[in-house]
Amino acid sequence: MKTLIAGLVRNRKALVGMIILLIIVLIALAAPLLTEYNPAARVGRPHQPPSADHWLGTTRIGQDVFARLIYGARTSLAVGFGAGLIITVLGTALGIIAGYRGGKTDEVISFFTNMVLVVPNLPLLLVLASFIGQASPLVIAVILGLTSWAWGARVTRAETLSVKQKDFVKSAEMMGEPRWRIMAFEIFPNLISIVGINFIGSVIFAIITEATLEFLGLGDPKTVSWGMMLYNAQKASALSVGAWWDILTPCFALALLGIGLSLLNFAVDEIANPRLRTGNSMSRWSALIRSGEGRL
Amino acid sequence: MAFLLRRLGFYLAAFIAAATINFFLPRLMPGDPIQIMFSSTGTELSAENLESLKLTFGFVDGPLWQQYLTYLQSIFTGDLGRSIKYFPLPVTEVLGHALIWTVALMGTATLISFTLGTFLGILAAWRRGSAFDVVVSVGAIFATSVPAVVTSLIVLFFFGFTLNWFPTGYSADPALDPSFSFTYIASVLYHGILPMVTLCSVLTGGFAVTMRNNMINLLGEDYIVMGRAKGLSDSRVMIWYAARNALLPTVSSLAIAIGTVLGGSLVTEVVFNYPGLGNILYQAILARDYPVIQGQLLIMTIAMLIANFIVDISYVLLDPRLRRT
Repeated sequence: MKTLIAGLVRNRKALVGMIILLIIVLIALAAPLLTEYNPAARVGRPHQPPSADHWLGTTRIGQDVFARLIYGARTSLAVGFGAGLIITVLGTALGIIAGYRGGKTDEVISFFTNMVLVVPNLPLLLVLASFIGQASPLVIAVILGLTSWAWGARVTRAETLSVKQKDFVKSAEMMGEPRWRIMAFEIFPNLISIVGINFIGSVIFAIITEATLEFLGLGDPKTVSWGMMLYNAQKASALSVGAWWDILTPCFALALLGIGLSLLNFAVDEIANPRLRTGNSMSRWSALIRSGEGRL
Repeated sequence: MAFLLRRLGFYLAAFIAAATINFFLPRLMPGDPIQIMFSSTGTELSAENLESLKLTFGFVDGPLWQQYLTYLQSIFTGDLGRSIKYFPLPVTEVLGHALIWTVALMGTATLISFTLGTFLGILAAWRRGSAFDVVVSVGAIFATSVPAVVTSLIVLFFFGFTLNWFPTGYSADPALDPSFSFTYIASVLYHGILPMVTLCSVLTGGFAVTMRNNMINLLGEDYIVMGRAKGLSDSRVMIWYAARNALLPTVSSLAIAIGTVLGGSLVTEVVFNYPGLGNILYQAILARDYPVIQGQLLIMTIAMLIANFIVDISYVLLDPRLRRT
């Protein structure tokens, strides 16, 4: 854990990712200080190009794009980290239990994990969200959290299988420690890098998927978020009428957040995975590679 | 063989799971499930039509398990109900027509990006540390961490609207009649370029990174050193000794990628107004056409399972160890 944090501070990729994330978080927190406009109100004439009054122009119905951008960051971050947390907790718990307990427990959990992995995720979410109706960001975060843990569970299980063969786990068993204690205090700390990668990966996934669901018209129209900005801009044919600021603003914001988080993810993998450090100066790049496994 | 049969059994279970979600979801929602499912967008259904729709979705008198069996029966006889928006067209027909475009678009994009990504991965691993490797690796991070919807919109904006190089919608010029003429096929290809480029840019990075990883792990193996010691040419060692073996895990990552491809193509089709499943689905979501929304989950699941099965088979063909167990 300590080496992980120390490594993160020294890693250049982590630094860039961290700075991007930090800037977005700060802007989201300071949103009311940065703009005088209410993101939901009509504050100008429709589809005005960027100007001194409206830094990033206005939408089809005259809302300030900059205000929507910085308030929308709050939604994206909240859904991303909220859903990411649920996904990680579920995936880690199920993975460790399946891997450590083995036997029937493992068979049942692995069966469900594999099943969730072969049912395509986005179509499933579309069905769930469409029945729920206009899904608020909170609802989206919860259904994402409950349906997307399978990848994490599979990876954590595989890792648990190798950790449980280690001597310190054997000796804890000999000393008669209860099983939950072994899972929580002997195995879990050794999986921290997998958990970290799973968490950041899930945050990226949740942010992308929330935006996608909202873009496809499953969001709550009252929500101020990057996905709804895309949806409204697309519905207003922003590109065909030349209002590029309306649609490209949330695009670049999503891309930037995605890239920042990915850099962070690669860095955690690189630092936490000793196999990747054994190389020479190339270790930085070979880290990228491993993280591509499984999750494309 | 036993391996493939076991996989088939598993896929059947997964398909039934998807159907079960479809069955229970409307019943779990507050309110009357029949009302929820069939009352959207003002289309008046006649009593007779409503009756047959209710039967398809298992809304029959009787206990829940009987309703469930009725629903499974209609699914397994290929009856997915009728679309509410395009009533009285059956869901299978609405989706089937769109599926051709999606499969063509998706299949080609997967094939191109798998080939291209694998090739880039091989070269990057072979010259690891070179400028080429750095460009491929960094490009892969950026391309894979940007959502498909964002890539689609940016591509559409620059190449469709700003530069005006490519059409901004439809699968072919709407003025042309579908036929096997040169003009029509050329128009289809021309209209397909932008969605294809988008999908490829979303997918290629992942394949490249996976392949590069596998290659680097293998390049230290003894048989590679042996191949070089024998004085074989670089390209022979690279392709026939290293890449051939590194391809195996890449093929299994292909199965996982299919889900991403499906999701990505849905969004890309909406952005490019391409008449595939994504677009039909988008219209269905806006109209709350539940039979179509449910039907797409089943069809997508089948597509995903078939893709997984093809990967299973190719795995058996590629890895002799699996044939014995």
